Amino acid sequence: MKPEAGDILGTAADQLMGQIAPNLNANYLQGSLAVQALLLKFAAREYERGADIRFAENADMRALFAELAPNIGDAGLRAQLTTAASTTDTSFAISALNAANAELRRHLIALQVHMEDLGDRAAQKRIWDALNVMAARRVVSLF
Amino acid sequence: MSDALSLALAEYLAKKLEASDLTVHDLARIPGGASRETYRFIARSGGRERRLILRRDPTASLIETERSTEYRAYEAFHKLGLPVPEPIALELGVSALERPFFVMAEVENAFVGSILAPDPYGAHRDKIGQQFWSNLGRIAGADPGALGLADFDGAKDARECWRHELARWEKVIDEDEGEPEPIARAAIRWLKRNPPAPAQKIAVVHGDYRSGNFLYDLNGDIRAILDWEMAHLGDPLEDLGWALDPLWAHHDPSRPAGTIPRAEAISLWETTSGLKADPEALFWWEIFASVKGLAIWISAAHEYATHRNDDPVNAFSGWYCLAYHNKVLAERLGALA
Repeated sequence: MKPEAGDILGTAADQLMGQIAPNLNANYLQGSLAVQALLLKFAAREYERGADIRFAENADMRALFAELAPNIGDAGLRAQLTTAASTTDTSFAISALNAANAELRRHLIALQVHMEDLGDRAAQKRIWDALNVMAARRVVSLF
Repeated sequence: MSDALSLALAEYLAKKLEASDLTVHDLARIPGGASRETYRFIARSGGRERRLILRRDPTASLIETERSTEYRAYEAFHKLGLPVPEPIALELGVSALERPFFVMAEVENAFVGSILAPDPYGAHRDKIGQQFWSNLGRIAGADPGALGLADFDGAKDARECWRHELARWEKVIDEDEGEPEPIARAAIRWLKRNPPAPAQKIAVVHGDYRSGNFLYDLNGDIRAILDWEMAHLGDPLEDLGWALDPLWAHHDPSRPAGTIPRAEAISLWETTSGLKADPEALFWWEIFASVKGLAIWISAAHEYATHRNDDPVNAFSGWYCLAYHNKVLAERLGALA
């Protein structure tokens, strides 16, 4: 079994934090290295979950558009959201998922502004529920 | 540490302090945030020595601030008797150390509580909390004119404080946003639709008053309130909202800043400031605090991603803190929907 990138990053973080940082004399370098090690820990976890987070978030936004678009009176926005809802992720490269994610987020902002202007409380609640799930999924654990 | 920097600093201080024999020793960089380079050193002159701190602008600054702001705040509040480091010298030119800087006294035998620590103040939690919230009340209660800070940046009209600060941080998001941020945008729209009551007074707002930005000693005494570089004029509730933010609560939002219970903290602030923390207005400023946080983290992420400032704290802020504040805002505003 070969080590995955996440294992390598995680082990490097442990070594930096546990063995190297304590042996540095310079206060600044010790602090800086500890933060670098923490970032490697984050990166190790992101290697495992990064694509999944983005894939799930993109799917959630498309589902939201598919649900709310049919009731939107503004033909332009309805068409925009209907088209966005029908797209799919064809690559799991982080850069490709990020590009799709950015586009979907733009549509989400437009949808939320529209529902706020209309005063549609039910739709706004549905959007905030989705945003809550997205935000919770992206939270980074320190431990 | 660079001998050249030590020599240049010694030459500058010898002239500035009229101490021709002044020498600089043991210059070493220490942690001090991503927006300024911070160094500790010893200055020797006339057979005496003094431990000092150098704060120098980095090559690229995270948040652009007026360079004299932090120094002038130290001067003003040091005179008022608030625990801040004694300011020694301010240099806005670039000929001495290539970038603007200032020098202040080192506060010795004192510590910073890491915002990542679950219980940084231990047995001194309550004692530190009493001082922390009272000191913030004293800042809020002070008269900017009497402090000589009436010309600080910020709103001069009590009705405009919220608009001024919201515009400032929205601009940062507009300029540095790497990807669309639906929660930040929704929060900004909410803040605009639900403005707070006018400020009770125009006060000096510290701008980053929180756990992790003060020094305390082994007796549990707060020895120095640090990092005044974002100080400005505005609504004193702005600082209270920021200090109460759950990001600085060490994983226990019921004890903001990792200190005393929220109600007690607000009560202490009210007593020392002579002001009221109207719950509706305070809620607005707490939502604003998380939006301001997002703006700072978005800016930090931008600095790191574009290699303008590779300090790993910027990457941490743009990753951990950004995700944290998005969740806080989604929960708080989602609950209102």
